[in-house]
Amino acid sequence: MNAVTPDAVQDFLREYVAKSLRGQGREVPADLSDDCDLLLSGYVDSLGLLELMTAIQDHFGREIDFDELDAEQMTIVGPLKRFVAEKLAKA
Amino acid sequence: MQRALWSGFLRSAEKFADRPAVFAESKSLKYRELREASCRIAATIQAHSDPAKTPLTAVFAYRTPTAFIGVLGSLLAGNGYVPLSRTFPIERTQTMLERSGCRSIVVDEGSLPQLNKLLETAPSPLLVLTPDVLDFTYYKQQWPQHNFLSGPDLKSAQSWREPAFEIDSIAYLLFTSGSTGIPKGVAVAQRNVTAFLDYMVERYDITESDRLSQMFDMTFDLSVFDMFVAWERGACVFCPSQKTLIKPGKFIKDSELTVWFSVPSTAVFMKQLGMLKPAQYPSLRLSLFCGEPLPASSAAAWLEAAPNSTLENLYGPTELTIACTLYRWDPSRSPAESELGIVPIGYPYPNMAVLVVDDNLLEVSPGQEGELLMNGAQMSLGYWKDPAKTAAAFMVPPGKNEIYYRTGDRVRRPLGNAPLTHLGRIDSQVKIFGHRVELGEVESKVRDACGCDGVVAVGWPKTDSGFGGVEVFIEGRESAPEKLRSAVIKELPEYMVPHRFHFMDRLPRNANNKYDRKAMQKLLEEGL
Repeated sequence: MNAVTPDAVQDFLREYVAKSLRGQGREVPADLSDDCDLLLSGYVDSLGLLELMTAIQDHFGREIDFDELDAEQMTIVGPLKRFVAEKLAKA
Repeated sequence: MQRALWSGFLRSAEKFADRPAVFAESKSLKYRELREASCRIAATIQAHSDPAKTPLTAVFAYRTPTAFIGVLGSLLAGNGYVPLSRTFPIERTQTMLERSGCRSIVVDEGSLPQLNKLLETAPSPLLVLTPDVLDFTYYKQQWPQHNFLSGPDLKSAQSWREPAFEIDSIAYLLFTSGSTGIPKGVAVAQRNVTAFLDYMVERYDITESDRLSQMFDMTFDLSVFDMFVAWERGACVFCPSQKTLIKPGKFIKDSELTVWFSVPSTAVFMKQLGMLKPAQYPSLRLSLFCGEPLPASSAAAWLEAAPNSTLENLYGPTELTIACTLYRWDPSRSPAESELGIVPIGYPYPNMAVLVVDDNLLEVSPGQEGELLMNGAQMSLGYWKDPAKTAAAFMVPPGKNEIYYRTGDRVRRPLGNAPLTHLGRIDSQVKIFGHRVELGEVESKVRDACGCDGVVAVGWPKTDSGFGGVEVFIEGRESAPEKLRSAVIKELPEYMVPHRFHFMDRLPRNANNKYDRKAMQKLLEEGL
């Protein structure tokens, strides 16, 4: 399997957030900056974040142990995408 | 005997003064401290209150000690509380405050950034209390028509006087999404809540050593269970921060919870994220789920992870006060009693009665399906300032002489001693070319075929007589639609076989995290 880059994860996150917001009839941001906090920005709620984690697993076809990432970091685009890319590169 | 909702808390505050009552924002408050802080709020509201004003206080606070202090402070002042949340769109919060007619509001620090916006449409004068803010000069200058009191300005706890308890004293006013888009306020009386609590604390044998989860936001009435079941018996309620909520497994372990209560979706995601490994949560002795259908597969997986736990599925609309039927999961019997892969909603609480009716509101025979009507000690006062909607939902069915609440839920009237099974919403039944189709049945077959729990069927396209067919939304990874179709085609009559499958990472949900079928219909209308 080809290495998944943080940018590829970011693309997925952007698509995910866009679809979710569109489904709720809300405005979709043009891009997600690295320091964007998905939870505090209101793009996803806490249950939505659990869904996002399962969606990441499904999309990249691998189980990821998110417990290794601090809860404070997990909702922020930059740390989240680097963590996911790193986990996918390892296993 | 009728008693005030605050009476259980006051009793525990005497008996267990130095035990923790609530844990929030990494701080724990002892019963003594929570009582003191709440009495200060209550005494301040009492000192400024005008008997002619609405007996309600808004609590604009999110998962902080102030949120709990605000709830208790409102009640101890003799007012019902109206929970507001900074996680809601501000326009919705404005509407809720306006419609409630509250003349006092408790605000925590985290909600201050939205306060200016909220005050733009607020009725005046408003008494604004912020126990954890010291300096309010800016707001006082900005809004001279309102009365701001911060920490040091609050009255002393000693000046608090226990208010008179009246039979219809409101405990809380909770807004649910109305079909017209305007939120409806459900007014729940203290006597409704104490009837509920009396049964719950006895049934679950809650003691001061219990540690309860607070997964529910206060804008969701299931949060009332978490707080008041704990406080009735001197137990502690653990309120995770928004960030901790995304690590539910760690939260259970770190807090050594004994009682878990959440929506089934949380269990579904924990299962998918590998957070339900066998015997992972031995501290839990009680696991409760409510708010949406509980898949039998999720219940079984949860019990493996929490082997020392009793698991119950609760059901109830806000209008009937938190929950009013329940079902205890039994691994040997329950899979067979589940219908369409969904755990039964069980049996009514002892103080509640069930009536299952057809389209003409006449009782159906045992074994037949119909709409669930209920009444009893937990039947709420109705919709706030909306007699027309109240009369439509709380009505006397033909041939009866008591008021029942129409739940809008489809159930099967049990045969013999069988449990009630939930079959979907009344509005989830559609007509397709004259055939009556229960969308829940389509959903169940698709769930089995794709292995995803998040499946919603929608009637589409609209025709004069109903719908021309069914389309299905699936939460999860795209899989081959032809395979899905060939799997369900064996199980369903042709008119029920979905025309299209739409895969989404996240299905639209309403403010209470329930799947929003109307939003999905709208997606189809807009050409997806």
